[in-house]
Amino acid sequence: MKLLARYNRVTLVTSVVMMLVTGIIYYYAINLILIDDIDKDLEVEENEIFEYVAKNNQLPQVFESNDQQISFWAAAPGSVKRSYIDTVYKKSEVRRRHRRRHEEYESGRALISSISAGGKYYRIAIVKSTVETEDLLKIIFGITIGVILLLLLALFTANRLLLNRLWQPFHNLLKELRSFSISDNKTIPQPDTNIDEFKELNQAVAAMSSKVKKDYKELKTFTENASHELLTPIAVINSKLDSLLQTEDFSQQQSKLLNDLYTSVSRLTRLNQSLLLLVKIENRLVDGDEEIDLKPIIEELLAQFEEIFNDKDLKVSFTGIDKKLKANRYLVDVLLNNLLSNAIRHNIIGGQIVIGLTAEKLTIRNTGDDAPLQSDLLFKRFQKSSSSEGSGLGLTIAQQICENLGFSLNYRFSNGFHTFTMTF
Amino acid sequence: MKILIIEDEKGLRESIEEYFTEAGNICETASTYAEAISKVSLYRYDCILLDITLPGGTGIDILKAIKEKDHPDGILIISAKNSLDDRLEGLDLGADDYLVKPFHLSELRARVMAIIRRKNFSGNNLLQFHELTIDLLAKSVKVKNQAVKLTRKEYALLLYFIANKGKVVSKNAIAEHLWGDGIDMANNFDFIYSHIKNLRKKLIEGGCGDYIHASYGMGYKFTDQ
Repeated sequence: MKLLARYNRVTLVTSVVMMLVTGIIYYYAINLILIDDIDKDLEVEENEIFEYVAKNNQLPQVFESNDQQISFWAAAPGSVKRSYIDTVYKKSEVRRRHRRRHEEYESGRALISSISAGGKYYRIAIVKSTVETEDLLKIIFGITIGVILLLLLALFTANRLLLNRLWQPFHNLLKELRSFSISDNKTIPQPDTNIDEFKELNQAVAAMSSKVKKDYKELKTFTENASHELLTPIAVINSKLDSLLQTEDFSQQQSKLLNDLYTSVSRLTRLNQSLLLLVKIENRLVDGDEEIDLKPIIEELLAQFEEIFNDKDLKVSFTGIDKKLKANRYLVDVLLNNLLSNAIRHNIIGGQIVIGLTAEKLTIRNTGDDAPLQSDLLFKRFQKSSSSEGSGLGLTIAQQICENLGFSLNYRFSNGFHTFTMTF
Repeated sequence: MKILIIEDEKGLRESIEEYFTEAGNICETASTYAEAISKVSLYRYDCILLDITLPGGTGIDILKAIKEKDHPDGILIISAKNSLDDRLEGLDLGADDYLVKPFHLSELRARVMAIIRRKNFSGNNLLQFHELTIDLLAKSVKVKNQAVKLTRKEYALLLYFIANKGKVVSKNAIAEHLWGDGIDMANNFDFIYSHIKNLRKKLIEGGCGDYIHASYGMGYKFTDQ
């Protein structure tokens, strides 16, 4: 959920609730005040009646005026309790046009009281219409609702306009961060802002990016230097072996020694290159993407290894569709080479390799030892079977490349097949 | 052929020099940037083997200096730097090839020969060895004007042998030349043997002399002696 939407929701809900609560309090307060006012009027009327009776010792004449009715009934002495009640006000008027009495019911407020006049006990009901009070309340309620709606609209618009503008530096910075590349020399431009938080964010981002770039450069220099320093002595050994080979006449024992030396030197070379490659891949030092099609690459690789398949009497099958990806060609070559090498290296004489390529995944299935491998150790560095001639880095590199490319690489063992699945 | 070896590592420089100095090849060496610059500005070479990291400067600057003066020397970069941008930088600046250390001397020679052939025999793409004629453009092989049909790998193998004629080439070097890095998966190099056997058989059947000799069980030698 967007920050703005969330903020809007919180402020709007709070405002509505607050206004409803205020509205309700307001309603009851005004209602109370108005009723109290009417009750006072009723009391004044009651007093007038009492005074009249005290003076004249008889009931006053009943008349209707000012939306007020007074009525007397004879009652059993002492049976009436003085009280205010909400009641109905029966309003009657003679409409001029129809010349007919017309009755209308309105809500009203009554004071029930009692008096003794002329030796008789009467129940008094003084009724006042409260229609004006209700009208007033309706108007107040209407105004409140209006204000709520207006305020909500204002809040919503203000949030939209103001917050969007306030967050603009943030969005600008985000855009810059997305296009940030560790290997180019461009620095992140600082969006113009006078808000402290964004200024701090800008500074933090700038500091971070320059540190990352510096580390990247140092690491790149280090791997290059390490590569040079390690490979130069190996190159000397290799060339000296090649020179030694030219001096004639070796005994069988000497030639075996020479062969072993050659093999060890080439293993050392590959180990060194694998380690350097791993460092580079892990630190994403290999860049440059291009559009590549996996199918022809796999076919080319299979043709390249044909003699090795024949040598081990392996049956290899490949079914696949054209699958295009955007990736670094060199890394994809290394990845496929390592996975296929793995399938060849750990295979049995007369075994099988089944490769399948679909739009979603690449699976490489191979026969081999009839027991599942420990899948949690499989991709760790220098994990290899005792019989393996490899460096123990092949699958680690493959997995690291997959990670860089955003693919997942999984291992499964079923029906005698070791299956590596790469999901795009 | 005149070859300049620019390489600061003494052991490697000597091995290369020794390997190339035979059958009329003249090798000169330079071990520092200054020495290399003075040599490339004074003399012309058929091929210059150029190391990138040198005391006093970088091979890339030497390459630039050669290209600025429009010298036609063939240039093969030999470097332990193998990142893609290094390769591209070298090749973009006009180097003819790029070989990553460590390499087999036989591989180096094959690459140098390829560069020199491209430079010197631009009109003539025929490579002659006694009764053997190789058309480099058509990638076809003739023995006494009779075509011999070779597979792609056999053809590559023959070229490799001719580039290193008179030298013992290790099975390791052959395997790496033909199959690249993937070769460490092979249990043994028996399939190299079968390729060589086939090549030899085809050449002899075509009426060619038997020039391929096994050597001490660890390599092969292409020689007319």
